[in-house]
Amino acid sequence: MSNNRVTRRQFLNYTLTGVGGFMAAGMLMPMVRFAVDPVLQKKEGGDFVLTKQKVSELTKTPVKVDFTFEQVDAWYKSDVTSTAWVYKEGDKVIALSPVCKHLGCTVNWEGDPAHKNQFFCPCHGGRYEKNGENIKGTPPLGPLDEFEVKEKDGLLMIGKTRPNTLV
Amino acid sequence: MFWIGKDVEVFSAQKEFIDTAIVPLTVIDGSPIGMKQSASAAEFLMSLTAFVEQQFKGRVMIMPPFSYTNSMVKKDYIQAIDEELKLAGFKYIFYMTSDHSWTSAAPELSVLWLPSIPLGDMDQSVKQSVLSDQIRQVVPMLSSKWSEL
Repeated sequence: MSNNRVTRRQFLNYTLTGVGGFMAAGMLMPMVRFAVDPVLQKKEGGDFVLTKQKVSELTKTPVKVDFTFEQVDAWYKSDVTSTAWVYKEGDKVIALSPVCKHLGCTVNWEGDPAHKNQFFCPCHGGRYEKNGENIKGTPPLGPLDEFEVKEKDGLLMIGKTRPNTLV
Repeated sequence: MFWIGKDVEVFSAQKEFIDTAIVPLTVIDGSPIGMKQSASAAEFLMSLTAFVEQQFKGRVMIMPPFSYTNSMVKKDYIQAIDEELKLAGFKYIFYMTSDHSWTSAAPELSVLWLPSIPLGDMDQSVKQSVLSDQIRQVVPMLSSKWSEL
């Protein structure tokens, strides 16, 4: 037996503090978890999506590249296929969003035979230069958005859109 | 645009640009033989109109589908819808359907009839290419109407 014997009062104090502490922690933990939840949440849409397009096969002429990602609309999850117009400028790969800056139609490369080397929006005749710059006198008021791009094992990866950096 | 609150707000502000309404017409057939056919036709039509929306978001408004049975006097309904949409300010109103009876039932309306293709068992990428092919049939019909005026 050691000299400082634990009294009944001390023993009760220790056990009660211990058990009480556990209970308090049990209540506080979920609260803290709720409070910091926004920080822990995974960012959606920030990831790059792998496409089937080989970077080595890209040329100066924009080609349509499809990519699929999962979209959550309230409780409804669906695979959305989106496209990008991708071409090479020197060694740099450029991916432009096909969404017209006017009201959101899908633009096509050389969609209008009368205007070669331009993107054309079939809805209201909006036109853009190859670098996405909107042509004055047509409805769109801004340049086409650009996608962030990456390369992985020779294949193109497409990320988030950002405002056009070429114009 | 779809017939949802947010898009209708944009429509009210941009009426000069968004001037076309597309109403999908789907038949509901409850008979044991016709049920699957009518369901897959509706599936095809919904996918197709959603794709048209993606391509022509800034000009067309896809309405909720009008569903009917073969026993209904569907022409009366459609004429009421037509008047209502004109009242709303749409210059062009198209009806898309896989039901062949419309081509003769309402010749004065712009009914785009497309034969239904069963998409149910298709792979995502095959579906995509089938729908793109179908869109190519629809685009000339839309643009010829648009360029009439």
